[in-house]
Amino acid sequence: MDNFEPKIVAFTCNWCSYAGADKAGMMKLKYSDDVKLIRVMCSGRIDPQFVMDAFREGADGVMILGCHPGDCHYRTGNVKALKRYKLLRKTLVQFGINDKRLKLDWVAAGEAELFQQVVNEMAETVKELGPLHLTGNVEQGGK
Amino acid sequence: MTVEKPKIALFLCECSTNISNFIDLPAVADWAESTEDFCFVEVSNLLCSPDGKKYFAEILMKHKPDGIIVAACSPKLHEKTFQDVAEEVGINMSRVQMANIREDVSWVTKDKTKANEKAKAMIKAALRRVILAENLEKVTMEVISDILIIGGGIAGIEAAIIASKAGRKVYLIEKDISLGGSVIKIEEVAPNMECAPCLLAPRLSEVRDDPNITVLTNSEITDVLGFYGNFLVKVRKKARYVEETCIGCEACFDVCPVTLKNEFHLGLGNRKAIYTLFPGSVPAAAVIDKEHCKHFIDNSCDACVSACPFGSINFNEKDEELEINVGAIVIATGTKSGDVSKFDELGYGKIDNVYTLPEFERIACSNGPSGSKILLKNGEKPSSVAVIHCAGSLREDGIPYCSGICCFGASKVGELVRKQIPEAKVLNIYNDLVFVGPKINAFYRKQIEEGTRFIKCYDLKTIQVKEKGDKITIEGEGFSQIEADMVVLSTGLEPASGTKELADLLNIDLRKDGFFKADHALLNQTGSTLEGIYIAGCSAGPCNVATSVTRARSAVGDIISKLIPGREIELEILTSVIDEEKCGGCKLCISVCPYKAIIFDDEKNISIVTEAICRGCGTCVASCPSGAAKAKHFTDDQIYAEIGGLLYG
Repeated sequence: MDNFEPKIVAFTCNWCSYAGADKAGMMKLKYSDDVKLIRVMCSGRIDPQFVMDAFREGADGVMILGCHPGDCHYRTGNVKALKRYKLLRKTLVQFGINDKRLKLDWVAAGEAELFQQVVNEMAETVKELGPLHLTGNVEQGGK
Repeated sequence: MTVEKPKIALFLCECSTNISNFIDLPAVADWAESTEDFCFVEVSNLLCSPDGKKYFAEILMKHKPDGIIVAACSPKLHEKTFQDVAEEVGINMSRVQMANIREDVSWVTKDKTKANEKAKAMIKAALRRVILAENLEKVTMEVISDILIIGGGIAGIEAAIIASKAGRKVYLIEKDISLGGSVIKIEEVAPNMECAPCLLAPRLSEVRDDPNITVLTNSEITDVLGFYGNFLVKVRKKARYVEETCIGCEACFDVCPVTLKNEFHLGLGNRKAIYTLFPGSVPAAAVIDKEHCKHFIDNSCDACVSACPFGSINFNEKDEELEINVGAIVIATGTKSGDVSKFDELGYGKIDNVYTLPEFERIACSNGPSGSKILLKNGEKPSSVAVIHCAGSLREDGIPYCSGICCFGASKVGELVRKQIPEAKVLNIYNDLVFVGPKINAFYRKQIEEGTRFIKCYDLKTIQVKEKGDKITIEGEGFSQIEADMVVLSTGLEPASGTKELADLLNIDLRKDGFFKADHALLNQTGSTLEGIYIAGCSAGPCNVATSVTRARSAVGDIISKLIPGREIELEILTSVIDEEKCGGCKLCISVCPYKAIIFDDEKNISIVTEAICRGCGTCVASCPSGAAKAKHFTDDQIYAEIGGLLYG
């Protein structure tokens, strides 16, 4: 298990969390090499199917990172993301995926250290959970 | 038939040594070559420099790629740079895809081998994504350069004058019957003790006489449609029952048999059922209070008709519904004094001679209810006045925040009292004092020198204001009992009534404290959360006169630098669209859109995005169960492709 290198996809919003990741870069804050980012304009854009697709394509963990509530560039997109996330976590369990493999968090553009912290924590969590072995439904599930 | 493989160019930027130090770019280039996915692969340096951009353009012209991947820094930094170059050589901006191998890889990765692998995965993701790119078209729209200002106080007036000077047509809307707002009710504005009506009077005349400014008083906004550059605002102009020929001569006041509390004096004086707020108001015309006028109640009186020398009374006037087309809206609806009547221990409304600070200002005013004389209810001069700071403020059951300017107003009481009654004692009870800046702090020190005593109370919630014969006593933690003839409660400032309703109409956000939320707390204090709608004066949070006016100037400055007659504005490119064929008419998208940008076509039973309002968050796309909604440049297919590419191998 020690050699396990998890694959983690982090969906980040253009205005807060992606900018937070940029700042982590500028500050040369090292974080887990296992986390790879996908930039979308708003966390509200993240369709639950993107998350399912990431698991299907081999991700061991998925993150959704948005602006703090009240700071969304598009007013309330992050709140929509939160609602979907709550439902999605319940659904994941039904597919046999530990709900700890999905994590939503808020990271502001200036919060480089927080970005580093939340992605590192996620990497640790997923590492402990081990590789994701999908069964049946999810693997076949159409988009 | 063979499908031609899309031609993709890959640029790997060394970024001086920022990237090349940590990622083995030649190795990545070799790998890219070996995939045979690219028509061009090259490691270059400083691609964002003038020479770099020139080289970039040359390669694009030579290879005419269908897609371009720039593996370099953050797209937030240079995506536009490379998109612009691409556009210059005739390649659509959508074809440029950045792979952020600097911020996301070289600067943050611990392991060099893994850095290479991560960079490759990101390039793979970019490749899969860019192949699916669809051209983005810039859409422009000619703007309407007229401006609507809501609120005719000192900020709204300033905004109107500045905008008119720039040649803009201005509509100035005020819900009260004439202009002036809160400041016109003040006698002297600290720290220079300038006469507020004197500050405002020339401005009021300027507004009145300016053909560019349409003043709509006694009016309210009923609906707002549209977007930045093209708002349609519906206004109800309530009937005055007095025509514009009225010059405010007041001949009708004497004959009107109905006496009511005067709101302008905050209920401290009286007015008639036909009234103006103050002599010389703009507009000058009086208004009939329909609710209380005997003509409207039982048709028993028309005394004003015969008293009027101009024949201005018109009982048949009707409310008018107006539609105004403007490009931008400035909110300058101001603020109101916090309600202290709910705090029994402060004695307000229960004990005579306990006033709020705004009420005291009226009493001290030359056009006030007692003709500028500071008097007690019994007509005598007060020999002692106590001022309680933060009354009803800094507590969860009142105004939980510091309004920032009331200490200043509270310290002015001593100055006004001593001017009329030099021997009177003035005592200010405080817990916190806020006198920021050299001028304001000097004013406070001057008050101490001139005789105002400042007494600290350890807990303002312990203050008890009680009646004791003709006197009032004040007790509280930290000081011994004080006796005074008059008590002034320095109330905090809360959002003007109707703020929430207006925010809902305009679809903009409020802060936790209820004032309008700024686009950015530091960089754009006078922009609201929606483009084209601005916040000035105290609507953007409690502030003094100077800041109020400055905010108005800032808002209008921003507007006139953008809304230029004849100029076209670029609309958001990355909007969402809904496929008519696929839309099932479930309206889910309408319920999640933060901008009310989606309308429903009842005939076709489908939802339609108004692209000029859409900001492109894509929330509707994520919620669409039938796949009809599409986010331009962030389509489902593009994101799936990116996920696949990132997790490949």
